[in-house]
Amino acid sequence: MNSLITPELLRRLEQVQMLAALRAKSSLKGERRSRARGLSVEFADHRNYVLGDDLRYLDWNLFGRLDRLFLKLYEEERELPVRIFLDASESMNFGTPTKFDFARQVAAAIGYVALCGFDRVAVAPFPDRAVGGGDPELAHRNALRSVRGKKSSMQFFRDLSALSASGAADLNASLKRGAMEARQSGVAIVLSDFLDPAGYEAGLNALVGRGFQINCVQILAPEELDPTTFGDLRLIDSENGDETEVTFGKYRLKAYQQSVANYVQRLREHCAGRGIRFFSVSSATDLGDLLLKQLRASEVWA
Amino acid sequence: MSFLSPLAFLFALSLPVVVVFYLLKRKRVVKLVPSSLLWQRFLAETQASAPLQRLRHNWLLLLQLMMLLLVVLALARPFFSGKTGEASLQIVILDASASMQATDESPSRFEKARAEVSRLVDGMKTGFSADNQQMLLMVAGANAEVRQSATSEKSALRRALQAAQVTDSPTRLAEALRVAETLTRDKPNAEIHLFSDGAGVDLSEFGTKDLRLVFHRVGTRGDNLGIVTLDVKPNPEDPTKRALFTSVANFSGSAAETTVELLFDGQVIEAKAVSVGATNTVPVAFVAAQDHDGIFTVRLTAKDDLPADNQASIVSLLPRPAKVLLVTKGNRFLEKALAASAPNVELSTATDLTDPEVKPDLVVLDDIAPAVWPSGNVLAIHVAATNWFEGGIGEMEAPGIVDWRNTHPLLRFVSFDNVQIASALAVKTPIWGVSLVDSPTSPLVLSGEIGRQRVVWVGFDTLQSTWPLRVSFPIFIANAVDWLNPATAKAGQFLIHAGDAFRLPLGDLGQHASAKVISSDGKVTDVPLGPQARELVFGETSRQGTYRVALGTNQLAFCANLLDATESAIAPRGELSLGRHGAVAATTMKRADLEWWRWFAVAALAVLMAEWWWYHRRTA
Repeated sequence: MNSLITPELLRRLEQVQMLAALRAKSSLKGERRSRARGLSVEFADHRNYVLGDDLRYLDWNLFGRLDRLFLKLYEEERELPVRIFLDASESMNFGTPTKFDFARQVAAAIGYVALCGFDRVAVAPFPDRAVGGGDPELAHRNALRSVRGKKSSMQFFRDLSALSASGAADLNASLKRGAMEARQSGVAIVLSDFLDPAGYEAGLNALVGRGFQINCVQILAPEELDPTTFGDLRLIDSENGDETEVTFGKYRLKAYQQSVANYVQRLREHCAGRGIRFFSVSSATDLGDLLLKQLRASEVWA
Repeated sequence: MSFLSPLAFLFALSLPVVVVFYLLKRKRVVKLVPSSLLWQRFLAETQASAPLQRLRHNWLLLLQLMMLLLVVLALARPFFSGKTGEASLQIVILDASASMQATDESPSRFEKARAEVSRLVDGMKTGFSADNQQMLLMVAGANAEVRQSATSEKSALRRALQAAQVTDSPTRLAEALRVAETLTRDKPNAEIHLFSDGAGVDLSEFGTKDLRLVFHRVGTRGDNLGIVTLDVKPNPEDPTKRALFTSVANFSGSAAETTVELLFDGQVIEAKAVSVGATNTVPVAFVAAQDHDGIFTVRLTAKDDLPADNQASIVSLLPRPAKVLLVTKGNRFLEKALAASAPNVELSTATDLTDPEVKPDLVVLDDIAPAVWPSGNVLAIHVAATNWFEGGIGEMEAPGIVDWRNTHPLLRFVSFDNVQIASALAVKTPIWGVSLVDSPTSPLVLSGEIGRQRVVWVGFDTLQSTWPLRVSFPIFIANAVDWLNPATAKAGQFLIHAGDAFRLPLGDLGQHASAKVISSDGKVTDVPLGPQARELVFGETSRQGTYRVALGTNQLAFCANLLDATESAIAPRGELSLGRHGAVAATTMKRADLEWWRWFAVAALAVLMAEWWWYHRRTA
């Protein structure tokens, strides 16, 4: 029924809860504290009574002391929108298991935790498919735009499983559009390899500017971290078809790993400078390790 | 640096071919990667940080070009010419005398010299060039031998060099140099290279010759102890025993101790400890009983640089009675002197010699012209009726004795002080003899050999002089009997210097088709004898030791020894003197025309291995 996450992991994920540093800004009711005043048990403030206010919320004790009418205000608990940006480009098809599978598993796990917490989950796979035509994924993609409630989780998993990765991604454009589309900011999860020739800075900055609380998970394939093919090579980029000629031997492995580390470090510094939580994992990493240790340790959830 | 085969530089045309190969597109393995972004970063970073990054792509090309260049250089056979390298003909004389066996160089002087000659051969300019060098190889051992005539072929020279053997003979370089001098006479571009230790070399005859001689000295020191003389005699005190006289010389700069062992037919019979001071010679005498003909060997046990002179052998024959026939009218002095001259003399007297069948060992003619002239050795006193002298025989009155040759064995311990002569025959010194005692106008005593007959001629009647009254007279007679006794002469035949020919008169040994000679190292040589052969001559005596000769049923032995003080003085000389005026200083080995192609080839091999390693490293 659910090939993405094992039942064991699901059971353990039920015990965790998304942490949100921000007040929820959603208009829909939920379980998160928000700045909105409404009905709940949590007292927030008083205000003067005006005609038409519900008499049930008058503070009679205060009226008795001051002989003036005040209304008791309560914090309204709203939902926390969790937006997951899922890189579904061709480059995610590499690695064992593929980076895309790993990304979907992470998306499923985060989505499940959010659903359990009565939060709304929106998954935005990019690149977008051409609208129209008989794309069988379209229905699933649409279904993933907004999911709510724990009972929807099975359908959510099915929809995720139906996705596939292909095409060239434009990370910046996708993140910018996601930031614009969102009616309320919330938690944003970016699952990608961040290997975009155009860079990632503009997209992340757009999300930051919109007020998202961002978590980035960079997923790299083992062979990208530790190549096993040596010799005189002509490398073809799977997304844009660029050719790179390189002569590679074991003696240059360290230099290569150093430049990969440099790239990751630059990304990490970019994120750290903007309050973005950043994780870099290999697609061969144990999923439970990432979810239950790394994410918990950096207080994405508790 | 020049090149022996510059044509090989044509191979350098292959260098551009390698470059062309590199200009062709290299076939690469195509591989699909998720994103080339990381790779581009990687290339940008590594290229920015590596110096010489432009060359980095082409290390292989550089290595291959270098290797090819080295191979071409090796093929071109470069060489550096040395000072001695310009001679078009090099005559190499390799000293193979006994002193070259000295082990102060490792493994020996001869091997060292051989290696140096070999390097000289390596350095020869041969090949495609016009100025080919030629070399002639001579080995100067017992005799000078041209082992390889002038040639440019290095392999032939190396073969000849390998075949050269060191001998036990004294140095005879003069002969070799004479040949070399002849060969280089009209060639201004020829050189003689002498590889020797300079020990025992006498080149005084070349003082006035134009000898372009390069002396390559081998040897470092002269620590040597050697036997330099050996003689065996009847013991004067006890006729049944033999007395052996030998002397041990120390040529080193410090005193040495050794044990001198005396062996008879291989059995040690006596040993004496001897201490010899620096550069001293110590005589050692042994007295030994001998019951049969055999070989005495003297051996030194001390270790020194030259083992060849630590052993010497001599053949000792049992003394036989000397049969002396005195033909005289009566001379008691002579008779008594003859009877006492040797331990066992069978003396008979006669007034005339008439029977030709009587063959005594020696005949003494005292003032008598015999009817039948004796065929054996003769001591002739005042005998005028002979054909020995050209220009006739005169008379002279009361000749004074002005000089005598006391180094001759006949005049050993003999002095003519106080001898007066009444009258004597006057003759001219003939070509067959030497004068032993001289008056102002004529020789008084002559000795020599006529054919195979030894003759001592005394030109005055002893009874007409005061000589018989002097003590020198019986000594002279004893010396004369010893010298004229054929057995003594015979014993001398059986002791030769190594390298000298052994000559044996066949005489009464009968006719044989051939003789077998067994060398000390067991080598058997057949010496054919013609039907008219009068003597056996055997020349392959370059190694010392005892040689046994089988002639039909006759067995005899002779000994070849070094017994040469100048050869045993093995200290190498820094300079060879040529007569009174000239000298040749030893050069340190000048290795002319060193070819370098081997080094280039080795370097090329190293580069090839580096290239192979690099190729695998960069793609493995």
